[in-house]
Amino acid sequence: MGLVIDEFYQSVAKHGQEVCGDNVEIIKNDNETIVVLSDGLGSGIKANILSTLTSKIAVGLIDKKLPLIEIIETVLATLPICEVREIAYSTLAVLRLKQDGTTQIIEIDTPSIFLARDGQIKKIEMKKREMWGKTVCEAEIKLDQDDRLFMVSDGVIHAGIGALLDFGLGWHGFARHLKDVLERYCDLENIIEKLVDICLAYYLMEPGDDFTVLGLGFRKERELTMLSGPPQDSKKDEEVVFELLEGPGRKVVSGGTTASIVARELNQKVESTFDYYDKEVPPIMKINGMDLVTEGLLTLNKTADYLDNHKQGQLYPKGKDGAAQMVRMLLSSDYIKMIVGRAMNESHQSLNLPLELGIRTQVMNRIAKSLKKLNKEVEIVWY
Amino acid sequence: MDIIKVEICIGTPCYLMGARELIEEMRKVETEHIDKIKLKTAHCIDDCCDKAPVAKVDNQIYEDLTPDKLREIVLKKIK
Repeated sequence: MGLVIDEFYQSVAKHGQEVCGDNVEIIKNDNETIVVLSDGLGSGIKANILSTLTSKIAVGLIDKKLPLIEIIETVLATLPICEVREIAYSTLAVLRLKQDGTTQIIEIDTPSIFLARDGQIKKIEMKKREMWGKTVCEAEIKLDQDDRLFMVSDGVIHAGIGALLDFGLGWHGFARHLKDVLERYCDLENIIEKLVDICLAYYLMEPGDDFTVLGLGFRKERELTMLSGPPQDSKKDEEVVFELLEGPGRKVVSGGTTASIVARELNQKVESTFDYYDKEVPPIMKINGMDLVTEGLLTLNKTADYLDNHKQGQLYPKGKDGAAQMVRMLLSSDYIKMIVGRAMNESHQSLNLPLELGIRTQVMNRIAKSLKKLNKEVEIVWY
Repeated sequence: MDIIKVEICIGTPCYLMGARELIEEMRKVETEHIDKIKLKTAHCIDDCCDKAPVAKVDNQIYEDLTPDKLREIVLKKIK
Protein backbone atom coordinates (compact mmCIF):
# COMPACT_ATOMS: atom_id res chain seq x y z
CA MET A 1 0.00 0.00 0.00
CA GLY A 2 1.38 3.38 -0.98
CA LEU A 3 1.77 6.62 0.92
CA VAL A 4 -0.41 9.65 0.41
CA ILE A 5 -0.05 13.25 1.49
CA ASP A 6 -2.41 14.14 4.31
CA GLU A 7 -3.19 17.76 5.21
CA PHE A 8 -5.42 19.50 7.73
CA TYR A 9 -5.91 23.07 8.82
CA GLN A 10 -8.13 25.15 11.03
CA SER A 11 -8.58 28.90 10.88
CA VAL A 12 -10.09 30.83 13.78
CA ALA A 13 -11.44 34.37 13.39
CA LYS A 14 -10.54 37.21 15.75
CA HIS A 15 -12.99 37.45 18.63
CA GLY A 16 -16.09 39.33 17.55
CA GLN A 17 -15.44 38.88 13.82
CA GLU A 18 -17.65 36.68 11.70
CA VAL A 19 -15.06 35.79 9.07
CA CYS A 20 -11.39 34.95 9.31
CA GLY A 21 -8.77 37.16 7.68
CA ASP A 22 -6.56 34.13 6.96
CA ASN A 23 -7.17 32.03 3.90
CA VAL A 24 -5.89 28.60 2.92
CA GLU A 25 -6.03 27.12 -0.57
CA ILE A 26 -4.94 23.55 -1.21
CA ILE A 27 -4.70 21.95 -4.61
CA LYS A 28 -3.69 18.43 -5.39
CA ASN A 29 -2.38 17.27 -8.71
CA ASP A 30 -1.36 13.78 -9.73
CA ASN A 31 1.66 13.58 -7.49
CA GLU A 32 1.95 16.83 -5.62
CA THR A 33 0.11 18.92 -3.07
CA ILE A 34 0.30 22.69 -3.14
CA VAL A 35 -0.66 24.72 -0.09
CA VAL A 36 -1.06 28.48 -0.01
CA LEU A 37 -1.60 30.31 3.29
CA SER A 38 -2.33 34.00 3.24
CA ASP A 39 -3.03 36.40 6.10
CA GLY A 40 -4.76 39.65 5.19
CA LEU A 41 -3.78 42.86 7.02
CA GLY A 42 -6.16 43.60 9.89
CA SER A 43 -9.20 41.46 10.46
CA GLY A 44 -12.78 40.98 9.33
CA ILE A 45 -14.19 41.17 5.83
CA LYS A 46 -11.42 43.43 4.46
CA ALA A 47 -8.67 41.05 5.61
CA ASN A 48 -10.66 38.08 4.36
CA ILE A 49 -11.07 39.59 0.88
CA LEU A 50 -7.37 40.50 0.70
CA SER A 51 -6.09 37.11 1.79
CA THR A 52 -8.57 35.30 -0.46
CA LEU A 53 -7.50 37.48 -3.39
CA THR A 54 -3.81 36.79 -2.73
CA SER A 55 -4.14 33.04 -2.27
CA LYS A 56 -6.51 32.66 -5.23
CA ILE A 57 -4.12 34.53 -7.55
CA ALA A 58 -1.26 32.35 -6.33
CA VAL A 59 -3.19 29.09 -6.68
CA GLY A 60 -4.50 30.07 -10.12
CA LEU A 61 -0.95 30.67 -11.35
CA ILE A 62 0.44 27.53 -9.71
CA ASP A 63 -2.26 25.51 -11.43
CA LYS A 64 -0.90 26.78 -14.75
CA LYS A 65 2.39 25.05 -13.86
CA LEU A 66 4.51 28.22 -13.83
CA PRO A 67 7.76 28.17 -11.82
CA LEU A 68 7.08 29.03 -8.19
CA ILE A 69 9.38 32.03 -8.00
CA GLU A 70 7.81 33.58 -11.13
CA ILE A 71 4.44 33.19 -9.50
CA ILE A 72 5.62 34.90 -6.34
CA GLU A 73 7.01 37.75 -8.43
CA THR A 74 3.64 38.17 -10.15
CA VAL A 75 1.74 38.06 -6.86
CA LEU A 76 4.11 40.64 -5.32
CA ALA A 77 3.69 42.91 -8.30
CA THR A 78 -0.08 42.59 -8.06
CA LEU A 79 -0.48 42.98 -4.31
CA PRO A 80 -1.88 46.35 -3.35
CA ILE A 81 0.27 48.40 -0.95
CA CYS A 82 -1.27 50.27 1.94
CA GLU A 83 -0.79 54.01 1.27
CA VAL A 84 -0.39 54.95 4.93
CA ARG A 85 1.67 52.04 6.22
CA GLU A 86 3.42 51.32 2.92
CA ILE A 87 3.23 47.58 3.38
CA ALA A 88 1.52 44.90 1.37
CA TYR A 89 -1.97 44.07 2.46
CA SER A 90 -1.35 40.39 2.73
CA THR A 91 1.30 37.83 3.69
CA LEU A 92 1.97 34.69 1.73
CA ALA A 93 3.38 31.22 2.36
CA VAL A 94 3.50 28.68 -0.45
CA LEU A 95 4.48 25.05 -0.10
CA ARG A 96 4.78 22.48 -2.85
CA LEU A 97 5.18 18.90 -1.66
CA LYS A 98 5.85 16.15 -4.19
CA GLN A 99 5.09 12.49 -3.72
CA ASP A 100 8.82 11.71 -3.47
CA GLY A 101 9.14 14.12 -0.53
CA THR A 102 10.76 17.02 -2.41
CA THR A 103 9.38 20.15 -0.80
CA GLN A 104 9.69 23.70 -1.98
CA ILE A 105 8.80 26.44 0.50
CA ILE A 106 8.43 30.17 -0.11
CA GLU A 107 7.56 32.63 2.64
CA ILE A 108 6.83 36.34 2.58
CA ASP A 109 6.23 38.18 5.89
CA THR A 110 4.98 35.00 7.52
CA PRO A 111 6.25 32.95 10.51
CA SER A 112 8.88 30.33 9.62
CA ILE A 113 7.57 26.87 8.91
CA PHE A 114 7.99 24.16 11.62
CA LEU A 115 9.63 20.88 10.64
CA ALA A 116 8.89 17.98 12.98
CA ARG A 117 11.62 15.36 12.52
CA ASP A 118 12.87 12.63 14.89
CA GLY A 119 10.88 14.01 17.81
CA GLN A 120 12.39 17.49 17.45
CA ILE A 121 11.00 20.72 16.03
CA LYS A 122 13.38 22.41 13.63
CA LYS A 123 13.52 25.71 11.78
CA ILE A 124 14.36 25.31 8.11
CA GLU A 125 17.28 27.35 6.80
CA MET A 126 16.07 29.76 4.16
CA LYS A 127 17.77 31.57 1.30
CA LYS A 128 16.71 35.19 1.17
CA ARG A 129 16.28 37.44 -1.82
CA GLU A 130 14.84 40.91 -2.34
CA MET A 131 11.97 41.26 -4.74
CA TRP A 132 9.66 44.25 -5.18
CA GLY A 133 10.91 45.65 -1.89
CA LYS A 134 10.08 42.45 -0.04
CA THR A 135 12.28 39.78 1.49
CA VAL A 136 11.34 36.48 -0.05
CA CYS A 137 12.55 33.38 1.85
CA GLU A 138 12.98 30.17 -0.09
CA ALA A 139 14.01 26.66 0.85
CA GLU A 140 13.97 23.21 -0.63
CA ILE A 141 14.04 20.14 1.59
CA LYS A 142 13.41 16.44 1.29
CA LEU A 143 10.58 15.34 3.54
CA ASP A 144 10.95 11.86 5.03
CA GLN A 145 8.10 9.44 5.53
CA ASP A 146 7.69 10.28 9.25
CA ASP A 147 8.36 14.03 9.00
CA ARG A 148 5.61 16.58 9.35
CA LEU A 149 5.44 20.23 8.42
CA PHE A 150 3.39 22.87 10.20
CA MET A 151 2.54 26.32 8.88
CA VAL A 152 0.96 29.01 11.01
CA SER A 153 -0.17 32.59 10.58
CA ASP A 154 1.19 35.29 12.91
CA GLY A 155 -1.90 35.05 15.12
CA VAL A 156 -0.35 31.86 16.50
CA ILE A 157 3.02 33.46 17.23
CA HIS A 158 1.21 36.36 18.95
CA ALA A 159 -1.15 34.07 20.89
CA GLY A 160 -1.60 35.40 24.41
CA ILE A 161 -1.02 39.09 23.69
CA GLY A 162 -3.72 41.02 25.54
CA ALA A 163 -4.46 37.92 27.59
CA LEU A 164 -1.99 35.55 29.29
CA LEU A 165 1.33 36.77 27.83
CA ASP A 166 2.89 40.21 27.39
CA PHE A 167 4.81 39.40 24.24
CA GLY A 168 2.93 36.42 22.85
CA LEU A 169 3.75 32.77 22.52
CA GLY A 170 6.53 33.27 19.97
CA TRP A 171 7.97 30.77 17.46
CA HIS A 172 9.84 28.78 20.12
CA GLY A 173 6.87 28.80 22.50
CA PHE A 174 4.66 27.27 19.84
CA ALA A 175 7.41 24.80 18.89
CA ARG A 176 7.51 23.61 22.52
CA HIS A 177 3.77 22.95 22.51
CA LEU A 178 4.00 21.32 19.09
CA LYS A 179 6.64 18.90 20.40
CA ASP A 180 4.42 18.00 23.39
CA VAL A 181 1.34 17.46 21.23
CA LEU A 182 3.27 15.32 18.72
CA GLU A 183 4.50 13.10 21.56
CA ARG A 184 0.92 12.48 22.68
CA TYR A 185 -1.09 12.32 19.46
CA CYS A 186 -0.50 10.56 16.19
CA ASP A 187 -3.47 11.52 14.04
CA LEU A 188 -2.84 14.78 12.17
CA GLU A 189 -6.46 15.94 12.54
CA ASN A 190 -6.24 15.53 16.33
CA ILE A 191 -2.91 17.32 16.40
CA ILE A 192 -4.31 20.37 14.60
CA GLU A 193 -7.33 20.44 16.92
CA LYS A 194 -5.12 20.33 20.03
CA LEU A 195 -2.82 23.06 18.70
CA VAL A 196 -5.79 25.31 17.99
CA ASP A 197 -7.10 24.65 21.53
CA ILE A 198 -3.73 25.66 22.98
CA CYS A 199 -3.68 28.96 21.04
CA LEU A 200 -7.29 29.65 22.07
CA ALA A 201 -6.36 29.01 25.71
CA TYR A 202 -3.51 31.56 25.54
CA TYR A 203 -6.02 34.06 24.15
CA LEU A 204 -8.42 33.09 27.00
CA MET A 205 -10.84 31.89 24.31
CA GLU A 206 -11.11 35.38 22.82
CA PRO A 207 -8.48 35.56 20.03
CA GLY A 208 -6.99 39.02 19.57
CA ASP A 209 -6.09 38.16 15.97
CA ASP A 210 -7.15 35.72 13.25
CA PHE A 211 -5.04 32.58 13.39
CA THR A 212 -4.47 29.44 11.34
CA VAL A 213 -2.66 26.20 12.08
CA LEU A 214 -1.92 23.89 9.14
CA GLY A 215 -0.11 20.58 9.14
CA LEU A 216 0.88 18.09 6.49
CA GLY A 217 2.75 14.84 6.17
CA PHE A 218 2.58 11.35 4.74
CA ARG A 219 0.29 8.55 5.83
CA LYS A 220 -0.60 5.11 4.53
CA GLU A 221 -3.30 4.94 1.89
CA ARG A 222 -6.77 3.96 3.18
CA GLU A 223 -9.51 2.13 1.33
CA LEU A 224 -13.24 1.71 1.74
CA THR A 225 -15.99 -0.38 0.16
CA MET A 226 -19.57 0.79 0.35
CA LEU A 227 -22.80 -0.98 -0.59
CA SER A 228 -26.05 0.86 -1.13
CA GLY A 229 -29.31 -0.36 -2.61
CA PRO A 230 -30.57 -3.85 -3.42
CA PRO A 231 -29.59 -5.19 -6.88
CA GLN A 232 -32.15 -4.99 -9.69
CA ASP A 233 -32.03 -8.76 -9.98
CA SER A 234 -32.72 -10.18 -6.54
CA LYS A 235 -30.87 -13.38 -7.50
CA LYS A 236 -27.71 -11.30 -7.27
CA ASP A 237 -28.12 -10.53 -3.55
CA GLU A 238 -25.47 -13.06 -2.61
CA GLU A 239 -23.08 -11.83 -5.31
CA VAL A 240 -23.40 -8.22 -4.14
CA VAL A 241 -22.70 -9.10 -0.50
CA PHE A 242 -19.74 -11.23 -1.62
CA GLU A 243 -18.39 -8.27 -3.60
CA LEU A 244 -18.74 -6.07 -0.50
CA LEU A 245 -16.87 -8.55 1.67
CA GLU A 246 -14.14 -9.03 -0.94
CA GLY A 247 -13.82 -5.27 -1.45
CA PRO A 248 -10.82 -3.43 0.03
CA GLY A 249 -10.67 -1.63 3.40
CA ARG A 250 -13.45 -0.65 5.74
CA LYS A 251 -17.05 -1.67 4.99
CA VAL A 252 -20.05 0.65 4.90
CA VAL A 253 -23.67 -0.34 4.22
CA SER A 254 -26.31 2.27 3.47
CA GLY A 255 -30.02 1.52 3.29
CA GLY A 256 -32.46 -0.42 5.45
CA THR A 257 -33.31 -3.04 2.85
CA THR A 258 -29.64 -3.34 1.89
CA ALA A 259 -28.75 -3.87 5.55
CA SER A 260 -31.36 -6.65 5.77
CA ILE A 261 -29.86 -8.34 2.69
CA VAL A 262 -26.31 -8.14 4.12
CA ALA A 263 -27.46 -9.47 7.49
CA ARG A 264 -29.42 -12.31 5.87
CA GLU A 265 -26.50 -13.39 3.68
CA LEU A 266 -24.06 -13.22 6.59
CA ASN A 267 -26.45 -14.95 8.95
CA GLN A 268 -26.31 -11.97 11.28
CA LYS A 269 -28.90 -9.67 12.82
CA VAL A 270 -29.48 -5.99 12.10
CA GLU A 271 -29.40 -4.21 15.39
CA SER A 272 -31.38 -0.97 15.33
CA THR A 273 -30.63 1.94 17.65
CA PHE A 274 -32.80 4.91 18.49
CA ASP A 275 -30.28 7.59 19.32
CA TYR A 276 -30.59 10.35 16.78
CA TYR A 277 -28.21 13.28 16.90
CA ASP A 278 -29.47 15.19 13.89
CA LYS A 279 -33.21 15.47 13.33
CA GLU A 280 -32.81 15.04 9.57
CA VAL A 281 -30.79 11.84 9.81
CA PRO A 282 -32.32 8.56 11.06
CA PRO A 283 -30.41 6.53 13.68
CA ILE A 284 -27.65 4.19 12.51
CA MET A 285 -27.87 0.39 12.65
CA LYS A 286 -25.31 -2.26 13.51
CA ILE A 287 -24.29 -5.49 11.82
CA ASN A 288 -21.44 -7.57 13.17
CA GLY A 289 -18.40 -7.18 10.93
CA MET A 290 -19.52 -3.94 9.23
CA ASP A 291 -17.84 -0.65 10.16
CA LEU A 292 -20.93 1.51 9.58
CA VAL A 293 -24.55 0.74 8.71
CA THR A 294 -26.88 3.65 8.01
CA GLU A 295 -30.34 4.37 6.67
CA GLY A 296 -30.35 5.04 2.91
CA LEU A 297 -31.69 8.08 1.08
CA LEU A 298 -31.94 10.68 3.85
CA THR A 299 -28.45 9.87 5.15
CA LEU A 300 -26.96 9.78 1.65
CA ASN A 301 -28.49 13.13 0.70
CA LYS A 302 -27.17 14.73 3.90
CA THR A 303 -23.76 13.16 3.18
CA ALA A 304 -23.80 14.67 -0.31
CA ASP A 305 -24.66 18.09 1.19
CA TYR A 306 -21.76 17.83 3.65
CA LEU A 307 -19.35 16.85 0.88
CA ASP A 308 -20.50 19.68 -1.42
CA ASN A 309 -19.44 22.20 1.22
CA HIS A 310 -16.19 20.54 2.23
CA LYS A 311 -12.95 22.29 1.32
CA GLN A 312 -9.75 20.30 0.88
CA GLY A 313 -7.83 20.18 4.17
CA GLN A 314 -10.68 21.25 6.45
CA LEU A 315 -11.30 19.21 9.59
CA TYR A 316 -14.05 16.59 9.31
CA PRO A 317 -17.56 17.18 10.69
CA LYS A 318 -17.78 16.17 14.34
CA GLY A 319 -21.43 15.01 14.49
CA LYS A 320 -22.41 11.56 15.75
CA ASP A 321 -25.25 11.12 13.25
CA GLY A 322 -25.07 8.61 10.41
CA ALA A 323 -24.28 11.19 7.73
CA ALA A 324 -21.41 12.81 9.67
CA GLN A 325 -19.98 9.36 10.40
CA MET A 326 -20.24 8.43 6.73
CA VAL A 327 -18.57 11.70 5.67
CA ARG A 328 -15.67 10.99 8.04
CA MET A 329 -15.32 7.45 6.66
CA LEU A 330 -15.35 8.69 3.04
CA LEU A 331 -13.05 11.67 3.56
CA SER A 332 -10.48 9.64 5.45
CA SER A 333 -10.28 7.10 2.60
CA ASP A 334 -8.28 7.52 -0.59
CA TYR A 335 -9.75 4.73 -2.69
CA ILE A 336 -13.52 4.22 -2.48
CA LYS A 337 -15.38 1.39 -4.15
CA MET A 338 -19.13 1.97 -4.36
CA ILE A 339 -21.39 -0.97 -5.09
CA VAL A 340 -24.77 0.48 -6.01
CA GLY A 341 -27.94 -1.55 -6.47
CA ARG A 342 -30.54 -0.04 -8.77
CA ALA A 343 -33.68 -1.86 -7.66
CA MET A 344 -36.70 0.43 -7.44
CA ASN A 345 -37.72 0.84 -3.80
CA GLU A 346 -41.50 0.41 -3.82
CA SER A 347 -41.84 1.97 -0.39
CA HIS A 348 -40.45 5.30 -1.63
CA GLN A 349 -42.95 5.54 -4.48
CA SER A 350 -45.79 6.32 -2.08
CA LEU A 351 -43.93 9.35 -0.70
CA ASN A 352 -43.78 11.49 -3.86
CA LEU A 353 -40.22 12.47 -3.02
CA PRO A 354 -38.56 15.19 -5.12
CA LEU A 355 -36.83 13.53 -8.06
CA GLU A 356 -33.27 14.38 -6.99
CA LEU A 357 -33.90 13.10 -3.46
CA GLY A 358 -35.63 9.91 -4.49
CA ILE A 359 -33.20 8.45 -6.97
CA ARG A 360 -30.32 6.56 -5.44
CA THR A 361 -28.22 6.57 -8.60
CA GLN A 362 -28.33 10.37 -8.66
CA VAL A 363 -27.27 10.87 -5.08
CA MET A 364 -24.51 8.26 -5.39
CA ASN A 365 -23.22 10.02 -8.51
CA ARG A 366 -23.31 13.32 -6.62
CA ILE A 367 -21.27 11.83 -3.76
CA ALA A 368 -18.79 10.27 -6.21
CA LYS A 369 -18.37 13.61 -8.03
CA SER A 370 -17.65 15.49 -4.78
CA LEU A 371 -15.16 12.83 -3.68
CA LYS A 372 -13.34 12.98 -7.02
CA LYS A 373 -13.09 16.76 -6.66
CA LEU A 374 -11.41 16.13 -3.30
CA ASN A 375 -8.88 13.98 -5.12
CA LYS A 376 -10.26 10.58 -4.08
CA GLU A 377 -10.14 7.62 -6.41
CA VAL A 378 -13.72 6.39 -6.82
CA GLU A 379 -14.98 3.29 -8.59
CA ILE A 380 -18.70 2.62 -8.98
CA VAL A 381 -20.04 -0.86 -9.73
CA TRP A 382 -23.72 -0.89 -10.73
CA TYR A 383 -26.01 -3.84 -10.04
CA MET B 1 -47.95 -7.18 34.58
CA ASP B 2 -46.06 -7.98 31.39
CA ILE B 3 -43.81 -5.41 29.84
CA ILE B 4 -45.35 -3.83 26.73
CA LYS B 5 -43.16 -4.14 23.67
CA VAL B 6 -43.21 -1.08 21.41
CA GLU B 7 -41.37 -1.35 18.11
CA ILE B 8 -41.16 1.81 15.98
CA CYS B 9 -40.21 1.59 12.31
CA ILE B 10 -37.40 3.98 11.35
CA GLY B 11 -37.21 3.11 7.65
CA THR B 12 -36.95 6.10 5.29
CA PRO B 13 -40.74 6.53 4.70
CA CYS B 14 -41.64 6.16 8.38
CA TYR B 15 -38.83 8.49 9.47
CA LEU B 16 -39.95 11.12 6.96
CA MET B 17 -43.56 10.77 8.10
CA GLY B 18 -42.77 11.30 11.79
CA ALA B 19 -41.14 8.23 13.37
CA ARG B 20 -38.79 10.53 15.26
CA GLU B 21 -41.72 12.23 17.00
CA LEU B 22 -43.09 8.79 17.91
CA ILE B 23 -39.76 7.86 19.51
CA GLU B 24 -39.69 11.15 21.45
CA GLU B 25 -43.22 10.54 22.73
CA MET B 26 -42.43 6.97 23.74
CA ARG B 27 -39.30 8.12 25.56
CA LYS B 28 -41.56 10.39 27.63
CA VAL B 29 -43.97 7.52 28.35
CA GLU B 30 -40.97 5.38 29.27
CA THR B 31 -39.90 7.87 31.95
CA GLU B 32 -43.46 8.38 33.20
CA HIS B 33 -44.06 4.63 33.52
CA ILE B 34 -40.73 3.11 34.45
CA ASP B 35 -40.29 -0.59 33.62
CA LYS B 36 -43.67 -0.74 31.90
CA ILE B 37 -42.58 -0.54 28.26
CA LYS B 38 -39.68 -1.84 26.22
CA LEU B 39 -38.84 0.45 23.33
CA LYS B 40 -37.20 -0.81 20.15
CA THR B 41 -36.70 0.43 16.61
CA ALA B 42 -36.97 -1.64 13.47
CA HIS B 43 -36.05 -1.10 9.87
CA CYS B 44 -39.33 -2.16 8.28
CA ILE B 45 -42.52 -3.57 9.75
CA ASP B 46 -44.61 -5.68 7.41
CA ASP B 47 -43.93 -3.63 4.23
CA CYS B 48 -46.77 -1.22 4.89
CA CYS B 49 -44.72 1.85 3.97
CA ASP B 50 -47.65 3.62 2.29
CA LYS B 51 -49.29 3.86 5.72
CA ALA B 52 -46.26 5.35 7.46
CA PRO B 53 -45.43 5.92 10.27
CA VAL B 54 -45.95 2.44 11.56
CA ALA B 55 -45.36 0.83 14.95
CA LYS B 56 -45.94 -2.55 16.51
CA VAL B 57 -47.31 -2.73 20.04
CA ASP B 58 -47.28 -6.22 21.54
CA ASN B 59 -47.19 -7.78 18.08
CA GLN B 60 -50.12 -5.78 16.76
CA ILE B 61 -49.37 -3.37 13.91
CA TYR B 62 -50.68 0.20 14.02
CA GLU B 63 -50.53 2.44 10.93
CA ASP B 64 -50.82 6.18 10.17
CA LEU B 65 -49.74 6.99 13.70
CA THR B 66 -49.30 10.30 15.46
CA PRO B 67 -47.52 10.70 18.82
CA ASP B 68 -50.90 11.20 20.55
CA LYS B 69 -52.46 8.12 18.93
CA LEU B 70 -49.50 5.94 19.93
CA ARG B 71 -49.48 7.32 23.48
CA GLU B 72 -53.17 6.50 23.80
CA ILE B 73 -52.66 2.93 22.53
CA VAL B 74 -49.74 2.30 24.89
CA LEU B 75 -51.39 3.92 27.93
CA LYS B 76 -54.53 1.80 27.43
CA LYS B 77 -52.32 -1.29 27.55
CA ILE B 78 -50.56 -0.08 30.69
CA LYS B 79 -53.88 0.44 32.47
